[in-house]
Amino acid sequence: MLLCRTTLMNELNLGLNLWALGGTGLVAGLLGSALGVGGGVLIVPILTLALHLPIHVAIGSSLVAIVANSCTAAGIYTKARLTNVKLGLFLETATIPGAIIGGLAAAVIAPSILSALFGLVLLYVAYTMVVRRYLMSEDVLSADNSVAPDNTPNNLSSSLANSYYDQNLDKVVTYKVTHTPAGLGASFFAGVLSSLLGIGGGIIKVPAMNLVMGLPMKAAIATSAFMIAITTTVGALIYHYYGNIYPFIVAPLIIGVVVGARLGVELAQRARGILLRRIFGVFLFLAALLMFLRTANIM
Amino acid sequence: MEYRNLNESRLNNWVSLIFKLGIAVSLALVVIGLIILLSLSGAKDIQPLVRLDQIPAAIVISVGILILLLTPIIQVIVAIVFFSIAKNRLFLGISVAVLCFAAISLVLALL
Repeated sequence: MLLCRTTLMNELNLGLNLWALGGTGLVAGLLGSALGVGGGVLIVPILTLALHLPIHVAIGSSLVAIVANSCTAAGIYTKARLTNVKLGLFLETATIPGAIIGGLAAAVIAPSILSALFGLVLLYVAYTMVVRRYLMSEDVLSADNSVAPDNTPNNLSSSLANSYYDQNLDKVVTYKVTHTPAGLGASFFAGVLSSLLGIGGGIIKVPAMNLVMGLPMKAAIATSAFMIAITTTVGALIYHYYGNIYPFIVAPLIIGVVVGARLGVELAQRARGILLRRIFGVFLFLAALLMFLRTANIM
Repeated sequence: MEYRNLNESRLNNWVSLIFKLGIAVSLALVVIGLIILLSLSGAKDIQPLVRLDQIPAAIVISVGILILLLTPIIQVIVAIVFFSIAKNRLFLGISVAVLCFAAISLVLALL
């Protein structure tokens, strides 16, 4: 079924090097995993700016690569009991409609506008990398939000409460989930952004779950990875509907991203985190600049 | 509480297993497809448009991608089965709603 779309074939009369595509996935997986950002913020700029793919094809390919990356991460996190599956499913009721709307909207939005929107998101991520202290510390949240969950069946918040064993703290962290309407709103927005721009949406979901809904950071990251797998699948299917998924483009990307993500975990443990984040932030800032230049047809 | 934790542990185990299985099968097929592509057509530079001699490779890769995209949807089906056995109506309803939304995009993709 993924073979037959021909919408953009004429536009795609270009030679693509398999190693360049695999390398793109590798770099995205490596840095994305090491720095805790989705690979999409790297894949889309590289595919459009360096490999000259149309932005809709770049976004569709990025979404499939992110499915592979998040499935790998979610498998590990869920086994470690860090994922709050109930909360993930609950928030997906808002994220998936957002992803469908974002995917359908992207099909009618001009590539130049998508490039500009992507540039704005890159600027935001670059800012969080270089300037801002990212999110609240694990210890503070664990201490503030620890609660004994009750089992009242009709109370949504208590049903969403969860616990996990934290190896670093050497204790069971129990937490409740608060502000679910705000979480649903943020999840919807994350879904729109994900399908519109080919990113995972973790840049919205993780802060929302951590700072607004009261999840400890580890649980927020794990639950976000579980959700991203579902959300980006929906987005990828919509991009396929519009003929923007090509097997030969996606295949090396998937392999590169999965291998890169595994290496990224090692890199995160060895590299100097702050320096790495700042270098990456500067790189993203430059990528944002290039996306804006592309929007203005200067490139 | 213990009963609930035990049940959710089972759900987590199933979800984790399916994620790992899905990604393993999908990656294996994609790698095999790329090997077929390189051995049959010998090209490192490819065109997105599938040529006749590249169809076998494209089919294998496409099946791999399809399995990858179905993996998260299967998770939702597993959750539906789990919550129906646990008679948890609230999350059964939530899981069914998620599956319905996902099915819309799947139907669109298959059209």
